Parts: sequence; structure tokens; C-alpha cells
Amino acid sequence: MPDLIHIERFDNGLVLLGEPMDHVSSVSLTVRVPVGPIYDPSGMEGAAAVGAEWWLRGAGDRDTRQLNDALDSLGCRHVEAAGANFITFSAGQVHQRLDDVLRLYHDILLAPRLDDEAFDPCRNLIVQDLLSLDDHPAQKVNVLCRQRFFPHPLGRYHLGTAESLEAMTADAVRDHLLGHFCPDGTIIAVAGKIDWPQVRDRIEQHLGDWPARPQAEIDTQPATGGFEHVRKDTAQTHLALAQPSVTMTDGHYYAARVAVCVLSGGMSSRLMTEVREKRGLVYRVSTAYGGLKSCAGWFTYAGAVPEKARETLEVVVGELRRLGEGIEPDELARAKTQLKSATLMSLDMTGSRAARMVNDFHYLERVRTIDEITAAVDAITIDDVLAYLQAYRAGDFVGVVIGPEPVPLAVFEA
Amino acid sequence: MAFREAQLDNGLTVVAEVNASAASAAMGFFVRTGSRDETPDVLGVSHFLEHMMFKGNDRYTALDLNRAFDDLGAEYNAATSHEKTVYYGAVLPEYQHPMLAMLCELMAPSFRQEDFDVEKQVILDEIAVYEDQPAWKTYKHLMEAYFHGHPLGNDVLGTTESITAMTRDAMEAYRRKHYAPASITVVGAGRVDFDAMVAQIGETCGHWAGGAETHPVPPSPDHQSTTILTDANIQRQHLGLMSPAPSEQDDERYAAELASAILGDVTNSRLYYALIDPALADEAHVIYEGLDGVGAMFTYISCDPDRAGEVLQILRNQFARFQADGPTEAELTAAKNKLASGATLAAESSMRRLMGVGNDLFYRHHYTSLEQDVQDLMAVTGKQVHQVTRQWDLSASTLVTLGPLESL
Repeated sequence: MPDLIHIERFDNGLVLLGEPMDHVSSVSLTVRVPVGPIYDPSGMEGAAAVGAEWWLRGAGDRDTRQLNDALDSLGCRHVEAAGANFITFSAGQVHQRLDDVLRLYHDILLAPRLDDEAFDPCRNLIVQDLLSLDDHPAQKVNVLCRQRFFPHPLGRYHLGTAESLEAMTADAVRDHLLGHFCPDGTIIAVAGKIDWPQVRDRIEQHLGDWPARPQAEIDTQPATGGFEHVRKDTAQTHLALAQPSVTMTDGHYYAARVAVCVLSGGMSSRLMTEVREKRGLVYRVSTAYGGLKSCAGWFTYAGAVPEKARETLEVVVGELRRLGEGIEPDELARAKTQLKSATLMSLDMTGSRAARMVNDFHYLERVRTIDEITAAVDAITIDDVLAYLQAYRAGDFVGVVIGPEPVPLAVFEA
Repeated sequence: MAFREAQLDNGLTVVAEVNASAASAAMGFFVRTGSRDETPDVLGVSHFLEHMMFKGNDRYTALDLNRAFDDLGAEYNAATSHEKTVYYGAVLPEYQHPMLAMLCELMAPSFRQEDFDVEKQVILDEIAVYEDQPAWKTYKHLMEAYFHGHPLGNDVLGTTESITAMTRDAMEAYRRKHYAPASITVVGAGRVDFDAMVAQIGETCGHWAGGAETHPVPPSPDHQSTTILTDANIQRQHLGLMSPAPSEQDDERYAAELASAILGDVTNSRLYYALIDPALADEAHVIYEGLDGVGAMFTYISCDPDRAGEVLQILRNQFARFQADGPTEAELTAAKNKLASGATLAAESSMRRLMGVGNDLFYRHHYTSLEQDVQDLMAVTGKQVHQVTRQWDLSASTLVTLGPLESL
């Protein structure tokens, strides 16, 4: 399947990516504005999350209900979310509606109401979401682990803290968001049944006069690191581990992705086989690659009943370490097929194509072709994987445990 | 897009919706069994059995099987519900034959005792996984309360006691009874070669024999009750309500789907404006659940414990108002467009389409194209949406709440 990706950079810094797909009837739109949680001012953590909630409470001459009615009547399935660098606006609809939807997104992006009276409910929703996290220990353990692993504020939990949410005011959040809501650094992707010149013209017409502003910069501080046990009477002991990996621009990147796939890529992967299939220790265990622009890691999660938590952790850490001792040719081949196949099969969906383009552009300032990805994966050898694992030995773990009993840290001593 | 259908001599049905421009081929075995077919001595057997099907046979060990799927880069899994067990996978079209071969191997398991013993531990752990998810736990208790005494109230996972006591022989007997060819439909979607699919299934599954299709115990009348489950360790108050709704076979299911969207979609619904917009709750949705011969309208809310009484009252008022007045034309149009667009987007994935086509055949023994499905949805009137919440009384609900509250 040939991929033809169009890229347009407007004078105000806005980047538009377009991928026409003839055999579908929908169009997906993704807009990422660089005003995400990592830019939340100190003491105002959670501002972007409140912002993502607040942003659709009226725009232009429409109030909340009128705006939602307008989107719904166009059959526009939309989601707004704050994460890491961005507030992301995603919308999917049948292609005939794209023009009308883009007209609405002009108002949403450039003329949000952000009314005072809507602020408190939005903040309250985020306060409640934050409380809900306590009811989801499997999720919370990963949040806490990322917070310890990434340099501050890159691993920040997007919902902030009870204190920061309590302290923030509508004026301060509005000033912060509008002050940084800029076309420079904003990436828009449109994938599906589109006429590229027409989409480009429409975006220029609607957003070409969005005034440029300098993009926000952030100072990072060293990560907290270390281990933490959060005592809680849960049915399972939830374990999260993180270890450093490489970013997408690194020469080791594809080797790192192949390696994590050997470890946790499918039901026959090492973790599934050793922890679940052979020993029956857990239902869920996985390692996933998670990258930001400047740093990346492998994130491992396992949930086990408390009496099996220690053994689970021992086996998991053992497998993370054993990977560096060597991998078999069939493991390499399987991992490569899985990576390529997942990439190719995701091409059916307009939403995943739009998201893929935006991600690539954020990390690489260009969009990889499918051929480039498959060729890069194909080229990886066992030596490449081992060279990566040599450079990034499993040893510098950051870990969090939520459960009734702590897990002895001796497990991590080599 | 073309629909194809064939039946083997032993009663096994094979169907596919062929889409020549899709990037992948998806296939699955839909088996007519789930927790509603279970007797009290084997609670959870349908789901445990689904896990055991991945353990291989005389030709393949569990690891061989998993490796064979992974070698193809397949996205594959299985799922067990109250009345349906589905084994499915998607691959690049050139791997159709080997993936189907592996799905057929899954369907001919050995159930080795040592695998059974290890997998039992995994199932017991899976039960613990859901214990730490209050929303799920609320739903589980709600099903139990609503279907009071009927096997649809059984938890798909079974109980710690039933799983601990389960024997390999009981599982094998259950499989023999419920995995007869007449109870199984093989479904394909996306870029599948249908003739090749039928030929291969004929070769590998043509010899399967077994009794007639089994039928689930007919649904029992709903049961209105209130259950308060107190757990001081939980932060939020989780509320689950269930009331009657049309079944998967009823024509009114489209109206029920629209009613649930107008009342409780994540955005721009009546509950959104009554509860989420003013931040009285952080989650509030209404989901229409069609089942075989019965249906349910499921409402879930998460809120501050000290507001739960107020929230529940608002919810009941919203339901009563809808039953009195029905939807506005604007609400109806918006909900239709939203659902139609969602269905169109979902249909771009072969895997999602597999589930859609499979459900059509499973529940209605009849294929409906996406276009027809959208047309049927668009044809529903406001009066029908109004009527569906009265004929199946939306206010006659069973309530289960889980959280710190001791009374409500």
C-alpha cells in the first residue's frame, strides 16, 4: 500500500500533515497544541487537564450545549485530552462533514470561551478523577513509577495534586493556557478520504492568521528515582518497574523496540511464558516501551496475589536481566514480524494513521514511510539487539509497589 | 464488500464479509456458550475452558501454539461473555491460511492435567485482578442482583471456590456438550479469501461431530432491589443500575441504542448536562446491552460519596422525565449522526467488523451490511425511542452501590 504523506508548514509555524486514503469514507483529525501538563507552572499542576475539560465549554458564538449539538449533528466523534507535551483534540467523522467540522475547530482553537462559571466544575471533575485513581491501583502504580523515573516535570501526572488543583484560579489557568496556546509547535494531521489541496486551503483559511508566539520552554530537574511501597489493602500486589531506554532519534531505537518485543511482544514472549504460562504466577504481566522526546524507558507491570508477589518480581527481574545474555534467531524473527505486522495492520484506521503522523512529526520533525519502518526493523540483527542491551543493562531500576506488604528490595541486588 | 456464506455437512456454518481493500484479514470462531449455560457446580467453566483451549494438543504444546501465532504477527485472543465465546485473530492477508490452521488447532485441545493445574492459578489471579476494580465489581454484583437466581447473574470468571474445585473431567464434559458444530459459526472479515477459508475448514473441522445446538435457559423476569456494599477503602461511590431493555433479536434494539445515547453518552447527553457538566459526578453513562432473548439498560455513575443521594435523585428524575416526554427532534438527530459516524469509523477495522458480522449471525442468523445497519438506525422515530423506555420500564431498576457509604 503506497503512502503519500503531505506536509505543509505555514508562516505562523503551524504544521499540517495529510494522508489521503481512497478506500475509506471517513476522515480523522488530530490537533496537538504544545500546552500539555509538562508546561503547567509550578504550583498549578493539573492546569492542562482542567484546560482540556474547559476548552469545549463554549466557543465563538456557541455555548457548551450549542457547540456540542453542532459537533454531534455533524456526527463528529471527538475527544480532548492532556498528556505530556500536548493538549490533543481528536475528531472522527464521515468525509462529507470535514469542511463543517474544520469551521467549528477554528472557533474551538482560536475562540474558546473559557468562562469563569465553567471553571469550577471543570476543576472539580479533575479533582474527582484524581481521587478515582486511588480506586485503580493497577493504574496508580504506573503513574507513580513514571513520576519517579522521568526527570521533573516530564513524568508529571497530568491531573496534578489535590493542593495544586485547590490553589489554581480561573484567571491564572486561562492566562497560562492562552499565553502558550500557539501555532508554533502545533501539529495537525488529517487522514482519510481527503482532497489534499482543499484541506490545506481550508486550514490556511481558518488557522493561517493564528498569531505566532514563542513556544514555552521548560527546565528539567533530575528524576527522583528509587523505590517506593504504598501500603494498601488490595486483592493483588501491584508492581511497576522502569529502566532507561533510547528515544526515537537514537541509532539503537529499532533494536530497543525489537528487544522489548522479544520480552513481551506476544503470548509466546519471555515474560508471558516464564511468569504466566510456566508458573501460573499472574494473569497480567507486560513490558512496554514508553518514550518522550528527550528520554525514554521500558515500563514493566505485574499484578500478583500478595503471597506470590515476591516470586513474581524475582522471575520478572530475572527475565529482564537474562535478555542481555542472548536471544535466539527465531525470537528475533518473531519479534520483527510482530512489529511490522502491527504497523501494517493499523493502516486500515484513519484515526491511527492521523495519530501516527503526529507522533512521528513530534519526535522526528518528519513522517516515516511504512517502507522505511519495515526496512529498519528488517535490518536489525541479534548483534544490534545485544549491543543495545549491553549499553542499557537492566539494573538501574526505579520501582513502585502498591499492596498490603512491601516486597524485599534484595531482589534487585545482582 | 461482499457477503459469503456456506455450511458444512456437519452443521458448521462459515461466513465472511469480504473487503478487497482492507489491510488485514480477520477470522474467528463464535461458540454459543458462556456463563449463562453453567450449572452451579461448574461456575466459571466457560471462561476457564477458553484459557485451556490455548494449551495445545498432541501436535502442539501451548508454547508451540503461541509461537505459531506470534510468528505470523497475528493479533489474536479469545473472549468469554455470559453467552458467547469467541476465538479470533487478524493477520496480513498473506497469512490467512496458517492463521486459520492455528485457530483450528485451538479448537481441538487436549486439556493436559499439568496445564490445567497451572492455568487454574492464572484464573484465580484473574479473579483478584477484578477485585481491585470497583467499577467492575459493581457491575458483577449488579448482574447478580438483576438476574437474581438466573444463570445470567453468574460471574463469567466464576468464584474462587468454584474454580478451586473444578476438575479437568468436568471441563471436558462441558466442552463436549457445548462445542458441537451446530453451536459454532466461523466468521471472516476484511481481505479474506472465502473459498480457501471454506475449503480449509472443511478439511480440518469437517469431521467434527456432536449433538445439536444447545439453547440457554430462557431469561427470568428482572428483579428490583437495592444492594449497598460498604468498603471504607474505596474513595468514590460507585453506582450501578439495571433496568429492562429489548433483546438482540428485538427490532426495538436500535431505539434502545438511541435512548441510551441521548440519556447517557459520554458527551452532550442528558446525564452529561445533569451530572458531569456541573461536576456532580465524574462518570455517568447509560449503555444498552442486548443479549440473547433479553436485554438490559445499564447505568454507571461514579461520584463523591456525600453526593450519592443527590446524584441518584437527579438520575431518577432524568429517567422519569424521559419516560414522560421522550427525546427532542434535535437530540434524536444528533444521536443518530453520532452513532452512524461511530459505526462507519469502527467498520474500517477488520477486527471490529468481524465482531459486528459475528454478532449478526450469532443473534439473528442473518447478515446485515453496514449500510443497512445505518439505514435502520436512521429510520427510527422519536416516538419509538420514547416508547422503548416505557415498554421496557427504564425506572424499574435494580441498584447496587459500592463505596464508603453504609446507607443511601
